[in-house]
Amino acid sequence: MRHGRWRFLAGALIPALVLHVVFVLSPYAQAFYLSLTDWTGVAGQAHFVGVDNYARLAEDSLFLDAVRNNALLLVAVPLVTIAIGLFLASMLHLGGRGGRRGIAGSGAYQIVYFFPQLLSLVVVAVLWSFVYNPNNGLLNGALRAIGLHGPSWLASPSLALPAVMAVLIWSSVGFYVVLFSAAIDGIPRELFEAALIDGAGGWTTFRKVTLPLVRDTVQVAFVYLGIAALDAFAVVQVMTVGPGGPDGATEVVGLSLYRNAFQYGKFGYASAMGVALFFATLTLAVLALRGGRKTAAGLA
Amino acid sequence: MSATRRTLLRTALTAGAAVPLLSACVTNGGDDGDRAAGNTGAKSADNPLGVKADAPLEVVIFKGGYGDEYAKSAETTYTQKYAGAKIDHKGLQKIGVALQPRFVANTPPDVVDNTGADRLDISALVSAKQVTDLTPLLDAPAFDDPAKKVRDTLLPGVIDDGTFDNVPQTLNFTYTVWGIWYSRKLFTARGWTYPRTWDAMLELCATIRAAGIAPWTYQGKYPEYINDPMLGMAAKTGGPDLIKAVDNLEPNAWKAPGLIAAAEAFAELAGKGYIMAGSEALSHTEAQAAWCQGKAAFIPSGSWLESEQKGVTPDGFDMVLGTVPARTTSDRLKPTALQAASSESFLVPAKAKNPAGGLEYLRILFSKKSARAFAATAGTLPAVVGATDGLTLSSGLGSVRDAVTAAGSETFTYRFRTWYAPLAKAVDDATGELVNKRITAAQWADRVQKAADGIAKDSSVKKYTR
Amino acid sequence: MTLSLSLSRSRRVPSPPRSFRSFPVHLAMLAWAVVTALPLLWAVVSSFKTDNEILNDPWSLPSTPQAGNWARAWNEASIGRYFLNSLIVVGGALLLTMFLGALVAYALARYEFRGNRLIYYTFVAAMFFPVFLALVPLFFVVQQLGLLGTYQGLILVYAAYAVPFTVFFLHAFFRSLPGEVAEAAFMDGCSHGAVFFRVMLPMARPGLVAVAIFNFLGLWNQYLLPLVLNPDPDRYVLAQGLAALSVSQGYRSDWSGLFAGLTIAMLPVLIAYVAFQRHIRSGMTAGAVK
Repeated sequence: MRHGRWRFLAGALIPALVLHVVFVLSPYAQAFYLSLTDWTGVAGQAHFVGVDNYARLAEDSLFLDAVRNNALLLVAVPLVTIAIGLFLASMLHLGGRGGRRGIAGSGAYQIVYFFPQLLSLVVVAVLWSFVYNPNNGLLNGALRAIGLHGPSWLASPSLALPAVMAVLIWSSVGFYVVLFSAAIDGIPRELFEAALIDGAGGWTTFRKVTLPLVRDTVQVAFVYLGIAALDAFAVVQVMTVGPGGPDGATEVVGLSLYRNAFQYGKFGYASAMGVALFFATLTLAVLALRGGRKTAAGLA
Repeated sequence: MSATRRTLLRTALTAGAAVPLLSACVTNGGDDGDRAAGNTGAKSADNPLGVKADAPLEVVIFKGGYGDEYAKSAETTYTQKYAGAKIDHKGLQKIGVALQPRFVANTPPDVVDNTGADRLDISALVSAKQVTDLTPLLDAPAFDDPAKKVRDTLLPGVIDDGTFDNVPQTLNFTYTVWGIWYSRKLFTARGWTYPRTWDAMLELCATIRAAGIAPWTYQGKYPEYINDPMLGMAAKTGGPDLIKAVDNLEPNAWKAPGLIAAAEAFAELAGKGYIMAGSEALSHTEAQAAWCQGKAAFIPSGSWLESEQKGVTPDGFDMVLGTVPARTTSDRLKPTALQAASSESFLVPAKAKNPAGGLEYLRILFSKKSARAFAATAGTLPAVVGATDGLTLSSGLGSVRDAVTAAGSETFTYRFRTWYAPLAKAVDDATGELVNKRITAAQWADRVQKAADGIAKDSSVKKYTR
Repeated sequence: MTLSLSLSRSRRVPSPPRSFRSFPVHLAMLAWAVVTALPLLWAVVSSFKTDNEILNDPWSLPSTPQAGNWARAWNEASIGRYFLNSLIVVGGALLLTMFLGALVAYALARYEFRGNRLIYYTFVAAMFFPVFLALVPLFFVVQQLGLLGTYQGLILVYAAYAVPFTVFFLHAFFRSLPGEVAEAAFMDGCSHGAVFFRVMLPMARPGLVAVAIFNFLGLWNQYLLPLVLNPDPDRYVLAQGLAALSVSQGYRSDWSGLFAGLTIAMLPVLIAYVAFQRHIRSGMTAGAVK
């Protein structure tokens, strides 16, 4: 039996590990090394420059703008997406008769909500640049219809980043509605009924019954949305002024990295940005999962 | 499933063997022999570049506004002459990302049209010695006029535009001029005339606005569009010295009176509300469409505008390119002086497998016949002298040709955009802020100067001078 | 949350007419549905309009539906061929990903051995790498294996980049499965492989469906990897074809063609989703029950 165990484990793990090492880890390991060089990305030669690239990051004002914007995205996008997602998912399940059944048409809603998830972010961004067009876009047209004068969303330094956030939220909410509603489906009916008999209101039921029982799912959602928020490259590149503007207002690390690597011929420097981004993401994920596990343990 | 796994394991094993080589590969010395060995033929009067008739040729073309049919017809001519040659043609949009690894791997194509928003940084390519010296091509006889050398068939400035470190390394196929566009139909109907001076421009703007039309719009999503008339105005005021100082990253070059005055002019344009509301967020297609619909009277752009707008320009619109008005009465250049440069950069990689074929392909592409066909279909001026002779030109292209003729030898261009891409980005950002009234002309000059100084003292950036 | 508070509270009021009770909830649900569907609907409608109609009357219905837009997008963007390419690559990668991912997740979730955590984190950490950092080195890896611009090459790379998430998701899932069935199977003399394939994999089916859907969507919309690894326009996948269309739109102001291309690319996925959404949701439901 022991023999069979090791043979099975080897057979299960080795093919995937080889694939992983060859196509994922080795390119990234090279990128780590490249971040210590002045490689241009267009020719063979590179010189070792130590941590010079990392030192430059601290003085690159556009990169610092990018870090600030990614941090804002990281806070706002997961919070708002999860809030809307949880609200809609709860309503799909409990918004109907007596708080015990799903709202009428909940199936249709779930289908429609999921639509944006089916489109690539590039397509989403192209669509939304039309929505945000200040003169004949969908959004300002709607505002005009109710007598308001809409601003130039993507060209205003204070509105551009929130406009980007809105697109990211719009494109992800549907997925999390379906995910959360699946999680809520898994909660035994009796718990809700018991809460109802105890006279708990909708909010109390949500806080005391729903939230604790979908906590794991929410945590995964946080990590996943966090990663998406730290990226945001496609939407920003397609949609914003500049891109990354106005004047750095929507710059994200991915965009700085892309520009330096593929447009400025500074691949070594760009790699340093990527490595910095990697450690930032990793740290946040570990913190989120650790923190979550502790609370979960406390509850159990 | 088991078959899948076996195949996978086999692939995985080969992969495992390859791993140790990889890190050596990305940054190797790049010396793996002469790839072109055996791909050259004997030179003759008919074959001045020594093409080997049956050597395959790989051509990568930027498939943008002009498509890639023009390049394919040059390929047809090539195979007519060298019947055994097999041509591998690729029309791409993201030249940079697609070709960058191939340059590193020393397996680049034989001809590259390095153009478009995602092109390779030419300055990085040049400093890495990845580009072939084009002198043999320039000294070869022209393809359809053997009495002339190729270099004598090109418009003024074209060779300079592709020269880095005194070596011609790229050859640009189109000739672009920049200016301010308007509709002749609209101006005739209203009795307006295109202004020669900036004061006249402001006066006219007041009239236009009174008529219920926005005087200006611009492609706000890409602020470089409005940079062009602004820097063009400064160049006319300060003359070649101002341009050289800027390109050579001289201290305080961006604080020259000519540049400050031009920045003030455009700040005033914005301050007086002469720019169509919402322009700052419009993409180039959106702003240009608004202009074609008569919502704004002027728009800055290069000479490609007419072909870009072909689908949405109303009949009889008659677009015309005007040169940037003079800011002062003591301008160093005449009002007819024109910002002009060639673009659509063709190069032959240094590590090309068939460099002779690559050069020969360019000789064919830059022939008068090929250029003429291009002018007729693309509606853009090619970089070849006389390519439009005898053609009936549309309103826009005709106005471009007239502007080129009127400018004579007074054409100018800045080089910092190709030499120092990060500086170009800093200028674009600052100009976007300026015309949105968030900074003043003085602050604009300060910001840009700071960025230029940063590049000047950054030892990791290769410097060029003119 | 204040919104959800007041809305939920309203349900508790003893006995108002039901229609009134659920009205605000309905309104909120409907509002989000409109916000979601409107831009998509607008794209579909715009794909039938002329360029001038799109510019002048972004709101109106087309006066005469322009089928030519679709024909243009179909021919110039070769959507049909790219669609097939996408299907081959994504289908192959999906099978490989699911097979390898499930094996790894199961082995790590149900077996204790030295290095278990290390392997797990090695996979999971890769979810946090920005992909474009790997692009250029990855090109050389694929090139050295002679797989550049081939379906096999793309399939292997797609799978390699989808396995980490698959492992992350299925690991928790396999952990939550009851152990008794597996133990009973071992008692019956089943080998480890047989337990996995005959017992655990069928039990994990709902979770597999869910993660397969995530992977499908992620791979279908993958753009950066094919951009570098798939340079041959004949082998372009759909995302590359659309990007090409969008770029050329920028040089020709062909909005209607762009909208038609977007719609053509969007519709099959939408139709497939509507057709299979029941399975998808039940898969996700099961996947979320841990």
